[in-house]
Amino acid sequence: MSRYYYYLILINMVANVIASVPAILLQFHKQGSVSSMILAAIIGTILITIYTRFFNAFPGMTLPDLLKKTTAKWFYNPFILLLALVWFIAGLITLVTFAFLLIRFVTPEMPIIQIGSTIILSVIFGCLMRSERVLYTIELVTLITFPLTIFIFYKAYTSDNLNWDFVKDAALYVNQMPNLNSFGACLFLFLGVVNLFIFNRFFTEKQSFKWKHAALIGVISTMTLFTTYFIPIGFHGFENIDELVYPWISTSDSIRMEFFIIERVLFVFILFYLGIAFLSILIHWHVSMEFLKFVFHLEKIKFRGLTVGTVIPLPFFIGISLYFLRELNEYQLFRISGLFYDSLIFFFSLITILLFFIKRRMKNARQAKEY
Amino acid sequence: MPDKQKNTKLFLLLLVPIITLLAGCEFKDIDKNVFVSIIGIDKSDDEDKPYKITLKLYVPTSSFKQSPEPEYAYLSQNGETLSEAIRMLESYSDKELEFGHSKLIVIGEELLKEQKVSEILDFLLRRPDIQMISWIAVGRPSAEEIVKMVSQGENAAYPALFNYFEDIGTESQYIVTTFLFDFRRRLTEDGIDPVLPIIEGKKKKKHFEINKAYVLVNKKEPYELSSLYTQTFNILSMNASVADLSTKREGQQFVARIDSINSKFKVIVKKNNKIELDMDTSLVGYISESKNQLKTEDLSYYSRLFEAEGEKFFTDFLTEMMNIGADPLGFGVDYNSRILHNKRMSAEEWNEAYKNAEIKLKVHADLKSTGIIQ
Amino acid sequence: MSSMETIKWINEQLKPTNEFIQKNLDYENKHILLFYLKSVVDSDMLQNLIITPFFDMKSEEQLRLYVQALPQFQEVQSKEQIRQELLNGNVLAFIQDELYLLDFRLSNNDKVNQTNVETTIHGSQLALSDNLMTNINLIRTNYHQSSLSIEYLDKGEVNQQKVAIIYDQEKVKSDVLDIIRTRLQKVDKQVITSTTQLNNYLNDKKFSLFPQMIMTERPDRIIYNLAGGKVVLLVDGNPQAVATPVVFFDFMTTMEDNYHTVLISFFLRILRYAGLILSLLLPSLYVGATSYTPEVFRTELALTVAGSRVGVPFSSFIEVLFMLFFMELLLEASIRLPKAVSATATTVGGLILGTAVTEASLASNIMVIIVSAVAISTFVIPVNEMAFSIRVLRLLLILVTSLFGLAGLVLGFFALIMYLVNLDSFGEPYLKLYTVSKNKKRSEGKA
Repeated sequence: MSRYYYYLILINMVANVIASVPAILLQFHKQGSVSSMILAAIIGTILITIYTRFFNAFPGMTLPDLLKKTTAKWFYNPFILLLALVWFIAGLITLVTFAFLLIRFVTPEMPIIQIGSTIILSVIFGCLMRSERVLYTIELVTLITFPLTIFIFYKAYTSDNLNWDFVKDAALYVNQMPNLNSFGACLFLFLGVVNLFIFNRFFTEKQSFKWKHAALIGVISTMTLFTTYFIPIGFHGFENIDELVYPWISTSDSIRMEFFIIERVLFVFILFYLGIAFLSILIHWHVSMEFLKFVFHLEKIKFRGLTVGTVIPLPFFIGISLYFLRELNEYQLFRISGLFYDSLIFFFSLITILLFFIKRRMKNARQAKEY
Repeated sequence: MPDKQKNTKLFLLLLVPIITLLAGCEFKDIDKNVFVSIIGIDKSDDEDKPYKITLKLYVPTSSFKQSPEPEYAYLSQNGETLSEAIRMLESYSDKELEFGHSKLIVIGEELLKEQKVSEILDFLLRRPDIQMISWIAVGRPSAEEIVKMVSQGENAAYPALFNYFEDIGTESQYIVTTFLFDFRRRLTEDGIDPVLPIIEGKKKKKHFEINKAYVLVNKKEPYELSSLYTQTFNILSMNASVADLSTKREGQQFVARIDSINSKFKVIVKKNNKIELDMDTSLVGYISESKNQLKTEDLSYYSRLFEAEGEKFFTDFLTEMMNIGADPLGFGVDYNSRILHNKRMSAEEWNEAYKNAEIKLKVHADLKSTGIIQ
Repeated sequence: MSSMETIKWINEQLKPTNEFIQKNLDYENKHILLFYLKSVVDSDMLQNLIITPFFDMKSEEQLRLYVQALPQFQEVQSKEQIRQELLNGNVLAFIQDELYLLDFRLSNNDKVNQTNVETTIHGSQLALSDNLMTNINLIRTNYHQSSLSIEYLDKGEVNQQKVAIIYDQEKVKSDVLDIIRTRLQKVDKQVITSTTQLNNYLNDKKFSLFPQMIMTERPDRIIYNLAGGKVVLLVDGNPQAVATPVVFFDFMTTMEDNYHTVLISFFLRILRYAGLILSLLLPSLYVGATSYTPEVFRTELALTVAGSRVGVPFSSFIEVLFMLFFMELLLEASIRLPKAVSATATTVGGLILGTAVTEASLASNIMVIIVSAVAISTFVIPVNEMAFSIRVLRLLLILVTSLFGLAGLVLGFFALIMYLVNLDSFGEPYLKLYTVSKNKKRSEGKA
């Protein structure tokens, strides 16, 4: 597979370590989080395989392209609009989460609108870039942020203060039924692959996706899930872990770098994770923007010869995000993220069925052409 | 890209109003902050305002080379809650109090005995600017006294107390190091109890003594570990990396310096809710002092003597801990990590089982040398 | 049009030039008319190659053949060409009703310069010269490929300077070449004197911070770029060439990277990128950390910074801008000043000003250290044009940080990367990670 494909999956996985996913998992630490994680790892890997295989079969084609060929217009437009909304919300959640983090830990005196607009302004114009350029940006920023993130994880694993007994204690809650909320949160980590709906236009050649690629992704995602859930437990105990609002921030604050100019890992962690959040928002909103282009044919709206259509969604994106930034509090954000993750389970199961449908239609169309 | 120029224009259009909006944004220079180095929390004499906070503040000087003498400012205030006290303190200072650099939290001995630790902890954890990696300790006679004391030979800008806890400073076997996050997990978890070092200020001699510790047992008076027990705890929890241990047996009397400590324990569950505490400690080192003349060929014999002595020490310590129901090493957590959650015994059953547990101790000592002389 | 009419027309055209000389040689039924501009023609050459043989020749026919056989001989195409060539230093000869052009140009600028912008320890110490032909000669002598093509154009409506487009036909990307050709056609400036001017004129954006072409004075770099499929532009009378399309990483390499051993050049590269990051981020980092988030530094460092800022009347970003302003002045001044004085200026500016500013506590000690570190690390960037861009960008980042704090700095930096990725240099992405893979086949296309 092209390395750009892995970035799409990896960013989604790693970006959510700091977001609501661990908080949701730890909330249900005694109600089946561990089994949900295992289940999600299996189903997630299968899902990734199905989606990748599907888009491999149609190199260079986006989902809207395929839908246009196979479905009726009454279905096509509302459906793509819904997709745009889903991707917008995904980006919005990351945005609000990070704005909250920054105001809590880095710049407490700054108004939330100002913090939010910093993030929005830096990302929003990137959403209008060509998909190819979005991927190049992802590669570069990943290259800058990843080594340090990995280093922090390494520091966490090798810390003397990581008590493995707590981890084992938590792992022994495996014999419970999985619950929906935890499962949804875990599954969200695997959903980076669905960005192929748009980004598949970049992969114009047929890729080879074998079981070893799927296995690699499975292993990486399992490791990410493990780290996400168990490391905070190792540092903060099991019994009352759910009282931490930002488990990973607290965890990074429990790691110490003795010999560095920055002693508190917390700041390094937040600032570098900001890069990953930046990418996550960039990907989601870019995809959302592209969906909107398909629905409204924005590139055809012209004013005095200039294509102004593509920038029409920007004020809406900014306005809606700023509104939610002002109105939401931490609990509401947590609830909304949870609901969003849960609804995605059903949403993407339906889409998977839709994909099979498209595949059949396309096959029929191709056969019809051959005769 | 045709949209490029238009994008730039739009960007500028957006940026201008935002910049004008931000004209009054929060911009505070570093010299308008005053950094707190140590937070002391005491019980006050005032009934209505039970908490007393003492802060040690760094006084910024333009060059530490020109003024090598340590300079600190102190603030002290009573309050009904901790936040109230801090709010009052802020009005005493012309600069913003910055807690982000405080590395040590000292709790007064009296306050500790009042069972109010969880309230203090709540305050410390809820504030995002207080480091989770700050050390927490008990001040004797009071936190205020410890905070306000400057020891001999202290460097400017780095309180001597930090060096006691830091790995790169002294490496004493008597100093227990507890980080704030570690304290929290020990306090909130059932299977492990918090241990806090006691800092004693020797006013006349102008130095600190840190060689004892408190074990906090649920809903009970904190139990003070003697220096010997503190050392034993440090060895068993591998908190200390080096230790001196003396042996007096069979006419031999020597001190061994241990430079490699490895200690493991596990809980073995038996029938009828009986448990066995299985400890396995390996100590490697050399003999650093002896009353008698030693022979190198007898090193294994000395090791056996040393093992017997160590076993006695450790058994004493564990028995004592079991008697008072304290679990500083975390046997409870270890038990939890071995048994599926729905098959575990209840908390009461566990406490009972722990008190009557069998101890199975194994010490592997390996003295490698008798030092430079025999 | 007959030859006589052409001569008349030329005479008409060149009348305003009082250096225009018309020489009529007539001896033993041999007849030749010579036209030239005195100041641009090598009179020795004229003497040795035309005038002396003229008197030795037996017949006019022989003379005509002799002139045609001269290597300086050029075919006449149009009268405009004749006028142009005369201005360039050709001699127009009129023999037997035929016109012949002979290139006897006199150039005093064909000496090869010493490198002084891109100096290296290893490798050639010679740069290009001011003369286009000499430069092309230099390139040809170092690049022995039949596929090396050179196209000439005259640009600048008034001064009609010669511009050469040089490329390797087999390696160049044809679409890039087309873009350059069409854009060069569109250039309608009055005066073209330098290759770096073309950088601006060929760029279709009004404001661009980053150079779209890389300027170089080193023949080895030109060769390297030609071999890499780039197009090189040369202007007569200018010792610098520009190569395009470029990517960001081109500006971070020196020719010496190829001359060192692998580990050493790896080390030097790391050093260079560290310098780039440092010069870009350090001042903003100072502003962000001191004014918004003093918890970031470890305690000792925070105290030192706070201590050194005691008594400084400005807030941190004014302090940074103030010091950077003086540093920029110093940099600018030392370029303009004669070499003998510039050392003094640096000493006065750098040392004395720096000490005095801290003594008067107009800036903190740490600030002076930061500014000097920034100045030094800016010089590490090997290509000057990029260093200029970085200097401007630095100010933008300071602005962003003063408004939004450290988070603003981080996001601003990422937005900058995004901007660079989005930039094009003649159809090629400006910033992109290239990987060397064994099979050249890419598994992705363009989206």
